Amino acid sequence: MRRYALGLGLVAVPLLLALGGPLLAGGPGPRGVSFTAGAGHWLGTDFAGRDVLRQVLLGGRPVVLVAVAATVLGYALALPLALAASLTGRTWVEELLLRPLDVLIAVPALLLVLLVATAAEPGPVGLAVLVGLTAVPDIARVAHAAAVAAASRPVVEALRLHGESWWRIAFGQVARTIRRTLAADAGTRLVGALYLVATAAFLGVGVRPDTADWAVMVDRNRAGLFLQPWAVVVPALLVAGLSTGTNLLFDTALARPRGRGPGAGRCGPGAAA
Amino acid sequence: MTATSRGWVRRRLLLGAGQIAAVPVLVFVLTEALPGDAAVVAAGDDPDPARIAALRASLRLDRPAVERFADWAGELAHGDLGRSLVGGRPVADHLAEALGPTLLLAALTLTLLVPAAVGLGLLAARREGGPLDRAVSTVTLAVYAVPEFALGVLLTGVFALWLGWLPPTAVGGIGRQPAVLVLPVVVLLARPVCSTARLVRAGLLDAMAAPYAVHALRCGVPPHRVRLGHALPNALAPVVQHLARTTEWLLCGVIVAEALFVVPGLGTVLLDAVAARDVPVVQGLAVLFGTVTVLLNLAADLAARRLAPRTEVAV
Repeated sequence: MRRYALGLGLVAVPLLLALGGPLLAGGPGPRGVSFTAGAGHWLGTDFAGRDVLRQVLLGGRPVVLVAVAATVLGYALALPLALAASLTGRTWVEELLLRPLDVLIAVPALLLVLLVATAAEPGPVGLAVLVGLTAVPDIARVAHAAAVAAASRPVVEALRLHGESWWRIAFGQVARTIRRTLAADAGTRLVGALYLVATAAFLGVGVRPDTADWAVMVDRNRAGLFLQPWAVVVPALLVAGLSTGTNLLFDTALARPRGRGPGAGRCGPGAAA
Repeated sequence: MTATSRGWVRRRLLLGAGQIAAVPVLVFVLTEALPGDAAVVAAGDDPDPARIAALRASLRLDRPAVERFADWAGELAHGDLGRSLVGGRPVADHLAEALGPTLLLAALTLTLLVPAAVGLGLLAARREGGPLDRAVSTVTLAVYAVPEFALGVLLTGVFALWLGWLPPTAVGGIGRQPAVLVLPVVVLLARPVCSTARLVRAGLLDAMAAPYAVHALRCGVPPHRVRLGHALPNALAPVVQHLARTTEWLLCGVIVAEALFVVPGLGTVLLDAVAARDVPVVQGLAVLFGTVTVLLNLAADLAARRLAPRTEVAV
């Protein structure tokens, strides 16, 4: 319970700032001198002389939205694939659907993002698509492993004999049976997407160098760390709180399912609390 | 080795070969075959027609993509990575120059990773649910999720700016001042140590609850002997596999840590090349990084199989 409160507390501030911040930010004020503290700015000014507080209020939204969009996209692609593979009953179709992903899983996701950034300017939408695509092999693997067991249950056989449609069997029965596993995995993926989106932005991929984005702020204001630490420390703390809180929250919410014995949640490295 | 085991090894090797073959294809498709004119992009802020024409000739963009790929892959197979678009130096020279610092960082991190993770895992698993276990579990879970750049910047703020104990960047040179390596290595270690320690803990608890361990305890074998002699080896098989997956993080981590602490390694070369749109350098590095990841994953899968031949059945 204490860990629940800790996770909630850590995630609440960055999340509220990310979603509500842009409403409070107001218009851009006049530009001041770079890296000054005080002088009418609560958190000082950044590398371009802008108010750090305003940048902080604006900078959470891109991180959160891109990460959530990427996770949703990854699931939208991977889940039907995994369900189809687990329900076909033909080994060669299963192999055909999943083997190509095994080949792709080996290449580090950040490397793929950097490669695309070499040839094109992805932008926020492109970054979300990229991060979502890199999550597909992992999601498909987890969902398939869980769905195979669920798809071989007698109830699925009965539904099939009853002439139920594929959609009803796949999403109404199999996906519903494995929803706990999927929820735990979705937490892992969301944390992974936050990590990748923030890291890419820190490295300058998919964002303009003057964007209001917490990760970009950390990167651009690093030069003034010794003059004006708040421009770096505040966004870094917000990014850290957001990812840590999300991880704690998902883990705690899913580790101890109600009405089951202790240790029921201990089924994988991510779920082991 | 049984027939099924040999079959498994053969299939795993085949998959590894497929992955290695896929790396250059993927690298080429992502950097060159995407829609858009690579020469215009490569010219960037300097869209002078003469420069674009020169780049087009240098990238051989006038020829079909399949033909270019065949040429490039052929040269790659002979160890020729081509020449940089910026300055025209061979890509292999760029890589050789930057290899040292990156290898040093990676070697230090890998050396410290396993003892730290196993130690933490053993500590937490001594008493399940005890205060120490809860503390270690919460901290590892929390730190595991923090991106390296945020952690690195915060640690720099505390240890370099506030306390003044450690240098903030490696600008002074790694050779002269070993203290510059402390922060990068800590940042690189943080995530893998956390995830691996959690896995060691979970594996130990499972193994200690298994019938053979319970029986040994009942027969009067001291708990620490059961834990270290019997439970730990069984808990390590998934850990080996997990270590291979963490190589991916280490790779990403190296890129971030080098950027953050200004270490002149492969990650810095990669980022500079991405920023300068130096396609041949990016391709060479990506092939190198991708192939290393594939090989490490393959080696770890084979090693885990030797440690605990049952793993395939259990999945």
